[in-house]
Amino acid sequence: MYGSRSTNVYDYLFKLLLIGDSGVGKSCLLLRFADDTYTESYISTIGVDFKIRTVELEGKAAKLQIWDTAGQERFRTITSSYYRGAHGIIVVYDVTDQDSFNNVKHWFQEIDRYASEGVNKLLVGNKNDMADKKVVEYSVAKEFADSMGIPFLETSAKDSTNVEQAFLTMARQIKERLGGAAEKNGGASGAQKANVNLRGQNISQSTGSGCC
Amino acid sequence: MTSKAKLLYSKSKVYVHPTPNSKDNIPGFVGLVRPSHAEDSGILVAWVPEDDLKVNHDYDQYVKVDLDENLVLKEALVSTPPPSSFSSYGFSVPIRDIYSIYYKRPSLGWWWGSITINTRGSETLPAIFFHDSESPSTKNEQKKRNKDFDPFSNDGNLYWGGDTFLLYLEKYAKLVNPSGSNNIFLVNPTQEDLDLYSNSNNKVAAKDEEDPFVKVFNDVKWKVLSKLASVTKFSRNTAQQLFDSTPPKVKTLLNIPEVQKVNDDFGSAKVYLAKWALGIAEEAQRSKRKSVYNEGYRKFLKGELGDFELLSIDFESERRNPIGIKEWNAFFDPIGHLVLTVEEVKERIFHGGLQPEVRPQAWLFLLEIIPWVSTDKERKKILNQKRHEYNDLKKLWWDDLENKNHDEFWLDQKSRIEKDVHRTDRSVSFFAEAEVSHPDPNSRFAETGTNAHLEQMKDMLITYNEYNKNLGYIQGMSDLLSPLYVVFQDDAVAFAAFCKFMDRMERNFIRDQSGMRDQLLTIDHLVQLMLPQLYEHLAQADSTHFFFFFRMILVWFKREFAWDDVLTLWEVLWTNYYSSDFVLFVALAILDKHKDIIMTHLNQFDEILKYMNELSMTMDLKDILERAEIQFLNFRKAIDMVDRKRQDMSSSTFLASGSTDYSLTDTEGSKAAKQKLTDHELPNITRDLRNLLSKEIVIVKEVERDPDVGGG
Repeated sequence: MYGSRSTNVYDYLFKLLLIGDSGVGKSCLLLRFADDTYTESYISTIGVDFKIRTVELEGKAAKLQIWDTAGQERFRTITSSYYRGAHGIIVVYDVTDQDSFNNVKHWFQEIDRYASEGVNKLLVGNKNDMADKKVVEYSVAKEFADSMGIPFLETSAKDSTNVEQAFLTMARQIKERLGGAAEKNGGASGAQKANVNLRGQNISQSTGSGCC
Repeated sequence: MTSKAKLLYSKSKVYVHPTPNSKDNIPGFVGLVRPSHAEDSGILVAWVPEDDLKVNHDYDQYVKVDLDENLVLKEALVSTPPPSSFSSYGFSVPIRDIYSIYYKRPSLGWWWGSITINTRGSETLPAIFFHDSESPSTKNEQKKRNKDFDPFSNDGNLYWGGDTFLLYLEKYAKLVNPSGSNNIFLVNPTQEDLDLYSNSNNKVAAKDEEDPFVKVFNDVKWKVLSKLASVTKFSRNTAQQLFDSTPPKVKTLLNIPEVQKVNDDFGSAKVYLAKWALGIAEEAQRSKRKSVYNEGYRKFLKGELGDFELLSIDFESERRNPIGIKEWNAFFDPIGHLVLTVEEVKERIFHGGLQPEVRPQAWLFLLEIIPWVSTDKERKKILNQKRHEYNDLKKLWWDDLENKNHDEFWLDQKSRIEKDVHRTDRSVSFFAEAEVSHPDPNSRFAETGTNAHLEQMKDMLITYNEYNKNLGYIQGMSDLLSPLYVVFQDDAVAFAAFCKFMDRMERNFIRDQSGMRDQLLTIDHLVQLMLPQLYEHLAQADSTHFFFFFRMILVWFKREFAWDDVLTLWEVLWTNYYSSDFVLFVALAILDKHKDIIMTHLNQFDEILKYMNELSMTMDLKDILERAEIQFLNFRKAIDMVDRKRQDMSSSTFLASGSTDYSLTDTEGSKAAKQKLTDHELPNITRDLRNLLSKEIVIVKEVERDPDVGGG
């Protein structure tokens, strides 16, 4: 009968997570990558959301589901439940904000605490277009990233610099780690198998109504 | 495909409109074709493009049969039309596979009449349009009728090409017109099909002039619309044709980029179409209200709440006009005493909301800055006092900046506030401009600029950060403050209002998030009780943590509704008219409204979260508030009934034990059995649920802040 060829055929499904201090531009990076747009007056993120973009990696289609989280520490209880099941986590800081870089260490600790073992990591210094305001030098951040064995990029969501590269770097890494196994298992189904669904902890269960 | 079939009927110049552009229209014939030896139910209803007929030399036969209806008595042999064609939109379907035919006569604004066939499988075939002015047979017939001064068909409407199609189809199939309307025909319906329609259809006689939205919705109903949702790419084109025969409003809906985006994100057309169907349903509901509001809504609810057997539905809800300044002033006597009861005023606000010019006054009462029972004079005094208070509080940190600028926590908070204020409601005119240069040249916003209102916002939030030291500023608070500031246009009054608002909102922000968790847990219980089927589905989708309500509850739907709607929603919630936690019923109403789509199409948490997040700025507040009220009334009734039932059961147990004092153990036994039965049968009304009946604001304060811990 009628062909039902879906436009959304993909070989892999990777789940990525953006974390970092409030206001470093996580949502803007995502907006640039997924929709190729930018706005100066973006609203703060409350809760979590995600966007999807399918990219090509060495002839294979990889669907990236990228989760965006609220940066403020107060909401970590809720955001941390999204760490588990992520294939890759991107820690973002703002090159014009020293504090946001100082907190990067803290964010990596969070990953160790909540994420699955072996999750891919990437450090991103955003707002690199603001050269005159820049306070975190490339060499400093690079040294830190190297010491942790993590790739590092400086980006600008505003002028698009390195945004593609950041997400593609992450996707490639994940494919390297999981892709071989996935392909052996037979393409998409293998990748699906390798993927753990991103689901929050069920707080209604954890608190329980065990009073009676 | 050499076997010849008999052409029983043919109509020329019947088009498929694959795109909205008339250049793309494809002319063809609609026909009834009996394959050799086929019985009536095997007769094919076919649409064949002219081009295809020219290829297989059947063209002349179709033309002949079209022009001379008597030919059907003779032999008109054609090749059997294929069920579908890849190269064109042609189709053929045996009568037994047809579920219904949607029939849209030409009328003012609908140039071409059309017919849409819904099969018993999940397909909707392309709508076919009868271009009457081009079809020789139709023109002949119209001419003939005009000559007889009877241009009407049997049903009294103007004759058009589709009439003879139905007339001929009726020779071979039973056509039932279920709702008394002319637009839908069930083909050889089973009893089940008929029941489905009689249950879902309106008692109110449908009129032909009725809004086409209502028509589409009533006649085709969810069942058929949801068939649309199980579409392949092909039938998505089909759907596009259906849309072309729908009013422009629906088309507008479809062209909204967000709707298309949803489609991309979900990776299939299903949610897109389901949303479209809901859009139609909503439109239908809206236009129905104008004429038969109560009946329609009640009927709607009956279906919705059928899954809770204890309930009989007789609640209604209707939003009223917002209170204007004249009406508001009439609530008070000359010295400013309220002449109505507080409850009456709250009821009125709950059901209607306020007009903008009333808000600066009314919000003072709603937020309990001034008592309802007071005079104008007393109120002025209180407001003056509030101004002093704010200035004093502000002075505390303003005069201490030297020290503060060495306090890391304070600096942290200040920068957080500044960042957030600069990204709060910047589309509202108050906050849009950034024409003033920043007072602090070292600020990160020194280049982008600021304005007086943004600076006031910052001062208020910094003052609050000092005033409620344990809690401090947390993201989301700027969203809560900005409407207050814009309405009062007075920083001191807005600050006082904000402090009052924060009293009840504090639990949303406390460090361990227990306040949010408790509310999500209450939603869990509420959905279990009120929407049990949906709850089961959510449980299977690992979504009963209800995280998708996090943003909605945290800032009271500030991000979900347009600015004006947020103001209305908040003043409704501030009345505590039914419950101080009415906000949770608003959440319940949203779930209720979207439960069909969720249950049919969304099976994983990520899908549900995406769907819920993208409802933002698409929801009709009026509808949600009406549903929320009805949900509350049903909830209250459910609790009452459960309580009474439980009481009945325990008192009958008590009587039994009183009359049989000699066999204590037996009585104990039967009591236990009865108790067991009770608990088993009746829903457990948790304390969380019972608390929803309270109008007392829940206040949970943050514990003292550890000086070593950041505000985060």
